[in-house]
Amino acid sequence: MNNTVSKSDTARNLLMGNKAFIIVLFMSVILSFASPVFFGASNILNIIRQVSVSTLLSIGFTIVLSSGNMDLSVGTLLGLCGMVLAKLIKDFKVPIPLAILITLLFAILCGSLNALIITTFRIPFFIVTLATQSIFRGANYLLSQLVPVAGLPDKFLYIGQGYLWGIPVPIFIMLLVVVCVWILMNRTKFGRHILAVGGNQEAARVSGINTKKITYGVYMCGALCTGIAAVVMTSRAASAQVSAGIGMEMDAIAAVVIGGTSMSGGNANVWGTVFGCLIVGIVNNGLNLLGVDSNWQVVAKGVLILFAVIIDTVTARSLASRLNKQAAASAGRE
Amino acid sequence: MGETILKMTNISKRFGGVAALSDVSMELSKGEVRALIGENGAGKSTLMKILLGIHQADAGEIEFDGHQVHFKEPKQALDAGISMIHQEISLIPTVDVAENIWMGREDKFTKMGWWIDQSRRYAATKELLDTLGIQVNPRTTVSLLSIAMMQLVELARAVSYDSKIIIMDEPTSALSAEEVELLFSIVRKLTNQGVTILFISHKIDEIFAICDSATVLRDGQYIGTHTLNEKIDNDSLIAMIVGRELSDIYNKVEIKPGKTVLEVKNLYSQSVFKDVSFSVRAGEIVGFSGLMGAGRSEIARALFGIDRYTSGEILIDGKSVRITSPEQAIQNGLAMVTEDRLRQGTIYKLSVMHNATLANLFRMVRLGFIDRKRENNAFAELSSQLSIKYGRKSDSINTLSGGNQQKVILGRWLLTNPKVLILDEPTRGIDIGSKSEIYKLINRLAAQGLAIIFISSELPEILGLCDKTYVVRNGKLVFECPRAEMTQELLAQHAFGL
Repeated sequence: MNNTVSKSDTARNLLMGNKAFIIVLFMSVILSFASPVFFGASNILNIIRQVSVSTLLSIGFTIVLSSGNMDLSVGTLLGLCGMVLAKLIKDFKVPIPLAILITLLFAILCGSLNALIITTFRIPFFIVTLATQSIFRGANYLLSQLVPVAGLPDKFLYIGQGYLWGIPVPIFIMLLVVVCVWILMNRTKFGRHILAVGGNQEAARVSGINTKKITYGVYMCGALCTGIAAVVMTSRAASAQVSAGIGMEMDAIAAVVIGGTSMSGGNANVWGTVFGCLIVGIVNNGLNLLGVDSNWQVVAKGVLILFAVIIDTVTARSLASRLNKQAAASAGRE
Repeated sequence: MGETILKMTNISKRFGGVAALSDVSMELSKGEVRALIGENGAGKSTLMKILLGIHQADAGEIEFDGHQVHFKEPKQALDAGISMIHQEISLIPTVDVAENIWMGREDKFTKMGWWIDQSRRYAATKELLDTLGIQVNPRTTVSLLSIAMMQLVELARAVSYDSKIIIMDEPTSALSAEEVELLFSIVRKLTNQGVTILFISHKIDEIFAICDSATVLRDGQYIGTHTLNEKIDNDSLIAMIVGRELSDIYNKVEIKPGKTVLEVKNLYSQSVFKDVSFSVRAGEIVGFSGLMGAGRSEIARALFGIDRYTSGEILIDGKSVRITSPEQAIQNGLAMVTEDRLRQGTIYKLSVMHNATLANLFRMVRLGFIDRKRENNAFAELSSQLSIKYGRKSDSINTLSGGNQQKVILGRWLLTNPKVLILDEPTRGIDIGSKSEIYKLINRLAAQGLAIIFISSELPEILGLCDKTYVVRNGKLVFECPRAEMTQELLAQHAFGL
């Protein structure tokens, strides 16, 4: 006897799986009534460009989260990579493409450091990435000696401030990374293995998956995304700030949770994360347009996270109890 | 003996669709030592949990010390005078012996209602332990004690409740011969004081040594109660424990086995199993029977690389291999359906199809990208071969019934085209319809030349399917039995150690 999913379940699943997208639509409609400026092309592009850095960060976070891990050091790593990049270009006069390459490799190295400690000593990711968060932050202070780096060449600024066919370059970069990560998670063996580990690590190991390799893989991929985000951020700001990135892992968590990727791992809603970031961006933009005190944006972020988690928990529980009832009923019939 | 202290009448309990207990009745007298015997799954634990108030019976009555009782939680049973020493140690390791023994009853030693007088507590503990003859310092932190000592502390705790009935679940599993004697002397002391002991154990020799009588359960049903004297012997006891009608849902096909595919020599894992040597040929179904905890799953997991083993040799097709991870095991042609489907089998967030293809993706990729057509085809063929019933292949796997989930896991391993298939309790918790389908499948696989290791606690299955069976007891292969000689009684005898 099998328990088939009914039509109403299908509709509900569709709704829940794409709730971030639906919320974005909903909010856009409301805000376009509240403010005439909102739905203009320039404002929309503005929003997307503003969230491009956090989206890149969040996409990397999604990869790590889907394996059942988390990287709390992404924020400060973002800042550190930005500083590394700026120093390479400005102080060491390294050609821009090479500087970017070195920065990305550096990011990947930092990611693998997290994985190394987690897998070798089997310490929970929470403590490890919290510790490396501090280490990266300190490294940024040391490297910069608390002095921001500005005066970066115009050619470099094109990445963060330029336009291609009328659309800001960061948006292209963001979309490219999103598509690549989507393909990784949904069409490759590596992605499938990541989801298996996140869903049930023991079962994944028994099925022949090398969980150590997966841990290295996700932290390195996540860090690569952080590195790319650092390039865009430094270019947009035309400088590397000493305190850049601090606290941005919270933005990532907010976006990912709202977007529908489970906190316990096992699934990866890549586009959901994108819309999650957009929601945060729209909320902030909307609050700006309405002239609200900008400090409310910080509160809004927290409220959004809670809201998303509550909806998730309530729907998950009701689904579980319905499946239980179905199972008991069909077992009784047998 | 004397008056009745406990009367359980027509107790029934269902869990989901499974009847754990059907109409079980039992009567105990004051000062009696009663053994409760049965195979794994017979219903012993369930009956005890109902008595203690951990579960509630669906039907039936319990009369304790002359009153109708209906315990809704363990504390009520404890206060009424029924205590239990559980099979798993339930002491708190970070705290000392005295604190553990009096846990929950600290108000015996409090001053002004909240300050615990530790010296009084230690003194009371010392007195208790001395009376029982248990040599443990009350101030020792429990985590530093040996398992045997922990079991004795559990015993002391149960005694300290001044209960009228003490239930002991496998109380001697970690005890040496001397300590077992100590336990027995404590039991005799208690029964002289009119305490009733209910003794759950698989060790028949101990049961004969200390118990006055034995109640046998089988498949959730009450079989009988007999006084343990010369009239009852091992054989008739065994017959009561296992005696079942054998139906022929197994459809065994006699196959001429091919050459030896798997050979295991002197496999040894410290404190888990030793001297494990056996071989399996192509087309052969080799059974591993024995009681739960005997070490069968541990041997299988070591073979498959899930757990480490200390020493020994494993040969596949005559070649010696070193297996330290499931990945390596798969590469060497092994496949294993683990005992615990929920924890080590299904990945509930993945879809039905993805669960099925998980172990074989490495053969379905091109440059890292999954060939979706190959995946879909492989799954379609598999699901029709195994008759897996599901809604859509993209549905989450836990929308399937237990039997179908197990088929998916089985399918996962069949897709890897193994030489050796290890099945650990493959039909546990599955409806009879799916069970017979799985038996048919196992026969078909053997006919195709697979070497199959079949671990099961259900003797009818072993008898129905296996070409030869090893009985495992205490981590050793104690008996090898060819098909022609297999009987339930013979296998059970060696499993219990008679």
